[in-house]
Amino acid sequence: MASWGIRGLAQSWGQLQQAQKLIVPSSRGILGARPRPQSTHAQTDAVSGNVPPTQISVMDNGMRVATEDSGSPTATVGLWIDTGSRYETAANNGVAHFLEHMVFKGTAKRTQNALELEIENMGAHLNAYTSREQTVFYAKCLSGDVGHAVEILSDILQNSKFDEQAIERERGVILREMQEVEMNLQEVVFDYLHSVAFQGTPLGRTILGPTKNIKSINRDDLRSYIDTHYKGPRMVVAGAGGVAHQDLCQLTQQHFGQIGTQYQAEIPLDLHCRYTGSEVLARDDAMPLAHVALAVEGVGWTNPDNIPLMVANTMLGNWDRSMIAGPSNASNLAKNVSAGSCNSYQAFNTCYKVGMDASGPDQSTPLAWVHSGPRAILKSSHCRHHSRTCFLFEQDTGLWGVYFVAGNMQLDDMVHFITEEWMRLCTTVSDFEVDRAKNLLKTNMMLQLDGTTPVCEDIGRQMLCYGRRMSAQELEKRIDAVDAALVRDVCYRYIYDQCPVVAAVGPIENLPDYNVIRSKLFWNRL
Amino acid sequence: MLGCCTRSVLRLRQTQLRLAGLRCGYASQPPPPIHRVPLSEPLSTAAHPTVLESHPFISPTGSDGRAEPGRVSTLSNGIRVASQPHYGQFCTVGVCIDSGSRYEVAYPSGISHFLEKLAFASTQKFQSNDEIQSRLEKFGGICDCQSTRDTFLYAASIDRRGLETMVEILGDVVLRPNITEEELQFTRMAVQYEVEDAQMRPDQEPLMLEAIHSAAFSNNTLGLPKMCPPENTAGISRSILMKYLSTYHVPSRMVVAGVGVEHDQLVRYVEDHFVNSPPVYELSKAHADQSLAQYTGGLVSIEKDLSNVSLGPTPMPDLVHLTIGLESVSHQHPNFIAFCVLNMMMGGGGSFSAGGPGKGMYTRLYTQVLNRYHWMYSATAFNHAYGDSGLFCITASAPPQNLGDMTQVITHEMAKLTGHIGNEEFNRAKTQLKSMLLMNLESRPVIFEDVARQVLAQGERRDPREYIELIDQIQPADINQIANKMLASQPSVAVIGNLQNMPSLKDIELSLIDKMPSPSKRSFFR
Repeated sequence: MASWGIRGLAQSWGQLQQAQKLIVPSSRGILGARPRPQSTHAQTDAVSGNVPPTQISVMDNGMRVATEDSGSPTATVGLWIDTGSRYETAANNGVAHFLEHMVFKGTAKRTQNALELEIENMGAHLNAYTSREQTVFYAKCLSGDVGHAVEILSDILQNSKFDEQAIERERGVILREMQEVEMNLQEVVFDYLHSVAFQGTPLGRTILGPTKNIKSINRDDLRSYIDTHYKGPRMVVAGAGGVAHQDLCQLTQQHFGQIGTQYQAEIPLDLHCRYTGSEVLARDDAMPLAHVALAVEGVGWTNPDNIPLMVANTMLGNWDRSMIAGPSNASNLAKNVSAGSCNSYQAFNTCYKVGMDASGPDQSTPLAWVHSGPRAILKSSHCRHHSRTCFLFEQDTGLWGVYFVAGNMQLDDMVHFITEEWMRLCTTVSDFEVDRAKNLLKTNMMLQLDGTTPVCEDIGRQMLCYGRRMSAQELEKRIDAVDAALVRDVCYRYIYDQCPVVAAVGPIENLPDYNVIRSKLFWNRL
Repeated sequence: MLGCCTRSVLRLRQTQLRLAGLRCGYASQPPPPIHRVPLSEPLSTAAHPTVLESHPFISPTGSDGRAEPGRVSTLSNGIRVASQPHYGQFCTVGVCIDSGSRYEVAYPSGISHFLEKLAFASTQKFQSNDEIQSRLEKFGGICDCQSTRDTFLYAASIDRRGLETMVEILGDVVLRPNITEEELQFTRMAVQYEVEDAQMRPDQEPLMLEAIHSAAFSNNTLGLPKMCPPENTAGISRSILMKYLSTYHVPSRMVVAGVGVEHDQLVRYVEDHFVNSPPVYELSKAHADQSLAQYTGGLVSIEKDLSNVSLGPTPMPDLVHLTIGLESVSHQHPNFIAFCVLNMMMGGGGSFSAGGPGKGMYTRLYTQVLNRYHWMYSATAFNHAYGDSGLFCITASAPPQNLGDMTQVITHEMAKLTGHIGNEEFNRAKTQLKSMLLMNLESRPVIFEDVARQVLAQGERRDPREYIELIDQIQPADINQIANKMLASQPSVAVIGNLQNMPSLKDIELSLIDKMPSPSKRSFFR
């Protein structure tokens, strides 16, 4: 009955949770803790509350299998791959995303049509997405169909035909997708933001790539991209819902066992993407509202400072004009702007993974060795491979800031309120506020994990970002350890007197000059 | 960039410190504080013992695949309490009320819109929304209020340990709101913004939904507007709202439902906060509106210039939006399941992307409409089911010059439903309906809504398996039969945009009666 008229609340809660997702990093960074091939072993985390435990195994080719079996009648299974547009060059930028499109276009065994019908007829969903650092393919299906779904995933990832004609057709589709993306101003502003914050580095490029590349990427580009990046140790098979761990391990062995660990060509290095404080402005007075992102350099996924930064981010929160809370909102910024300084705003915290800086001081080589264990060994082997001396110094990066939509005459106020709030975070924020934000952050993180797909995504992402699964209890404990002094200390280090990055589109005549914004990030008094 | 350098140095120092720690060995050193442990490393259990004990996971479904049955109790004042066992640390609990815009006939339209926005504001016991929020935050709770045409839902997800607090808050929010003049003022602003925003957004869906309901039910009952008409915002006062509440928000029209809660506990708390504490308004002697929704059919056309609706620099195509609806059945009617199968079989979506295999890319509106007519921008089927009536409709958009063709194509698809239905498409629709039902029910808030609505409508919640059995029983002949019945009703038509090429309602009626028109005969729109 009403079970499928249900949409209403479910959707609005989805939106609520989506808004909260901005608090959690929206792009997925990775700590590529890539274990070397090991024999299969399983470890079980004991977790409290009636929540299924995470079971993790490592296959012979380094692929990791991680599951949480809740015994439900539906399941999500998929592949999380440690690759994305960050691994592209100016010449092949867009290939990761192009590939995501092409794997649905038929394999040696199945035509595109047969593949689509097979999925549709079993009532399953097949999905894929590419971010700057992750490529994901997953299927959602009835739990009885998990084996079938894994077989299909393995077929499209390993045996796709990349038919020339299909490639030609897909160019048009991707160009149209580009148009759709350009209609979404939030995406436009975030692409602009990356293009200047990480100028001259792979993180500055877009995921879709420039039109020129979309028109020229060919079959060889796709093949060589797969050969270079789809390697066992960089892949995670994750499962949630009605999916038994042993079964999924067997299926992985059977269908992905032939994926190798060896690189034929040059080993791709994760080079550090340098952050540059800067701005990009695209003034268009014909647009009704200005869309602006204002950020400073944040941290990568594994940096422990990420937790206090997330708490600070929660304190800024988000607000839009349809929210009535007004002056009684928990967020001080929302309180200040709700009198009419913007249409909406959202705080964001985007993390990227740790890259290596080749320009660190001499002594940093042994530092990195000791500091990060197996990963550093892998890196040093890169170095030998290239027979050059590189000074390995790990650096991570991210973007931490606020995105807002406002009228031209509101921009000055809005920038003022944001920077004022940032300065308050660095200097005088109180334990009372921090405690509230901690509770809110915990809630946001926990409530997201509802349904097999969000849980599966969380498992896959964490396995790539942290190299492990962090239990809800651990996360709670880490958030509990934050206090106002720590928030002030961390914010002071990342915000105070730092060069921000600004991206703005629309009627932005009234946006304060970059140097004015920069000067709002320190005080000549304390 | 000076700041950046300083930070690198700072981090280097930290690393050196860590290195020193490593050299000495952790055995002789205290472990690092939690906020210094990278997220890629687990917290050491010795230094940071787990707070919560671990329990083995208990699967929510028994060996027969059936979920544990829920329970329903009716309390002395007529309020019903329903619960459903579920796993996990969180529960969802809320109140479902037989109230909504369909009952606003004797009131200025917009009451529900106001009440929705006023939810969780100050009450007899709690001074402000802020106080409620901070109470919830302690237990990691979030709350929300949503109304549809015939149902109000006040709900929250919260840690199980916060159940009593939550029921206490819900009792006060639902039965004892203050509704101060200040809150009303903020609500007027929020409502006004939402109405303006809906008019400005390129997406016409909310407006189309209002228009088709008003056409189908002649501006009465289900056809009353859900969105507050702008001219009513000023006039809606506390006394009007209270009068409405005293008639419709009465215990006998309410269900309190909880998912993942103890039934007896929930009953006890509801006794305290919904039975023993009276509402702030005196329960009205006035009778609630009992009128049945009367399907009439009809035309609502809104001429609107949509040639420049893009909010950004990328232009949106100029589109005209059309919905054609026919009378379906209530969610209590034996034919309801057949309508759900029909809805799945028609499917549809945007012409640009079906969202990947599994999202209905082989449904009729794709194979017969979107894939055939390149000018069609979107086409989707909806089945809106209510307690006493229902509306099955297809909503579509295309450039204004194709409005005549679009009308013809859509009516043709509806008329064709009395004809042959292929086995493959039919079985696909049934499988997809079953998997959609189970996948929706992965999420706890969705289970909550399902339980609450079912108990409100039929006094009990049926297990999803029962619906699956009912779906299995549907035959193609059932679809033909409901199609015949449906086509005998007067069509409802809603259209927004440039109406130059709009055919008359009479023409639409004729083309629906002419069940299988040959393409050559379909010329009267030109």
